[in-house]
Amino acid sequence: MTDDHDGVPELLAAWAFGALQPADEKAVPLHLAECESCAAEAERLRETVRLLDVPPGATSGDGAPETASSNGFAGADGVLAVALRARPAVPRVAAHAAPYAAAVAGLKALLRELDGHAPWGTPVVHDWDVHDTLGHLIAADEQLAVRLGLEARVPPSRITEDTPWEEAWNTRTADVIAHERTRTPEETVAAWSAQAAALLATPEARDPERAARATTLMGVRLPVADHFVVRAFEAWIHTDDIGRALGLAVPPPPPAHLWQLVRLAVRVLGMALGPTAPPVLFAVSGEGDDTQWVLGSEDEPVQGELVLDAVDFCLLVGGRYTPDEVPRGAAGDEDAVRNVLDRAASLAWL
Amino acid sequence: MEPTLHKSERPPADAELHRRLVYGDESALAEAYAAYGGLVRRVAVRVTRSQVAAEDVAQEVFAQLWSRPYAFDAGRGSLRTWLSMLAHRRAVDWVRSEARHRKDARADDSALHAIPDAGPGPDETVVDRERSLLLHSALAELPQPQREVVHLAYFAGRTYRQAAVELGIPEGTAKTRLRSALRKLAESLADPPDPAWERGA
Repeated sequence: MTDDHDGVPELLAAWAFGALQPADEKAVPLHLAECESCAAEAERLRETVRLLDVPPGATSGDGAPETASSNGFAGADGVLAVALRARPAVPRVAAHAAPYAAAVAGLKALLRELDGHAPWGTPVVHDWDVHDTLGHLIAADEQLAVRLGLEARVPPSRITEDTPWEEAWNTRTADVIAHERTRTPEETVAAWSAQAAALLATPEARDPERAARATTLMGVRLPVADHFVVRAFEAWIHTDDIGRALGLAVPPPPPAHLWQLVRLAVRVLGMALGPTAPPVLFAVSGEGDDTQWVLGSEDEPVQGELVLDAVDFCLLVGGRYTPDEVPRGAAGDEDAVRNVLDRAASLAWL
Repeated sequence: MEPTLHKSERPPADAELHRRLVYGDESALAEAYAAYGGLVRRVAVRVTRSQVAAEDVAQEVFAQLWSRPYAFDAGRGSLRTWLSMLAHRRAVDWVRSEARHRKDARADDSALHAIPDAGPGPDETVVDRERSLLLHSALAELPQPQREVVHLAYFAGRTYRQAAVELGIPEGTAKTRLRSALRKLAESLADPPDPAWERGA
């Protein structure tokens, strides 16, 4: 530890493990030859490493499984086949439904971490815990499910035809959550999961042509294909909410899926801004892509520029960033840029 | 909210692979296996000395990676060390369970840590095997920062400098951790074993 040992004591463990840098290889034996205390320590450590190495043949015999199977080595195919049985494959669906299929797989993976230590009552967002958040997702997915001819899984709410969509949406979420609170979290997960699987098994999930027909959900008229993308968006945002609550970092959707969310959100944002808003050059970048749009009026010169990261933009649209806090690059007319940010946040999709 | 949920300080390769595993991309599992299947088997064989056991361990490890991707946190360590440590734990469990079977099979069995008179022949192998199991049990119980460096140096064949780079820690810290770890292992041979290793946890 002092200069007269040439830093060798610090190196002895690395030496014993055979993990020295080539440059140290000479210094250590030279020092050990002339320093008794280091030599004793070195001997003790190296003996420990030697004993870590299990003697060959140690576990054979005694009826050990070594002799039970002479062709036990199945290699990659065996290992991968066993692994794939431990978690079902993501259903094969058309490109428009692939982000939803992946988001469902991602949420299921996260929920597996709740089994056992089970903090189902952990607060997530609004006044929901994990259990309630799943209830909300049942209500949210149900709108598309019912539109595609599937049965609702929870007794109907008292919603009349002329109820504004936000109110109907909130009422339904409240009713489904109240219903799910009378059941176990496992039952709720099973109900959500079964509905998701049913959605992914519809012809509309597999056939782009059948998914091309437009329908109005959550106050927005879009092709069914886009409503599938909205389902992915919502599933991911709430998965991220749950991950935060549990202290587990949820990765954003795979790049291709993330960009499907971005493109749809930009289209909806463009519709929401309308044709008379002061035009802004809007760029989204990151995750292997980089695209620009002009939002607002087509008849005026561009007044401002706004650049957002793809994930940040989604979090803004998903209501997980406020216009003030979302990291951005901006230039030009501040009001025009602010208008775009405010409108994106106000989509309050989820 | 935290503004950086999607930005990881880990090597992007691990984070990307983890992301694909989370979202159920089967090709990510195949890639993880291609990259780390050899290491996982090597760790298992070094502890169990059995190809059959190593196959079982590899199956368990990759089944866990696939079915519980969130058990791995790319923010807390590399996938290489995580898989290596998981394989080691499973391999130690396998040897313990095998030792228990053998113990059951023998009417009068000396405690595993007791070292009989060092005679020549098979006895020596038995003693070494038992000491080795003690050491590997102790290794599996080391604090994660120490265990990671040992795994990189001992199983993955890294020098202390390479291990430091891989873990993103100063070289001196890597040396110190190796030293603390190895001293603890040496002491575990001298001390009576922690009853914890018998729990088979």
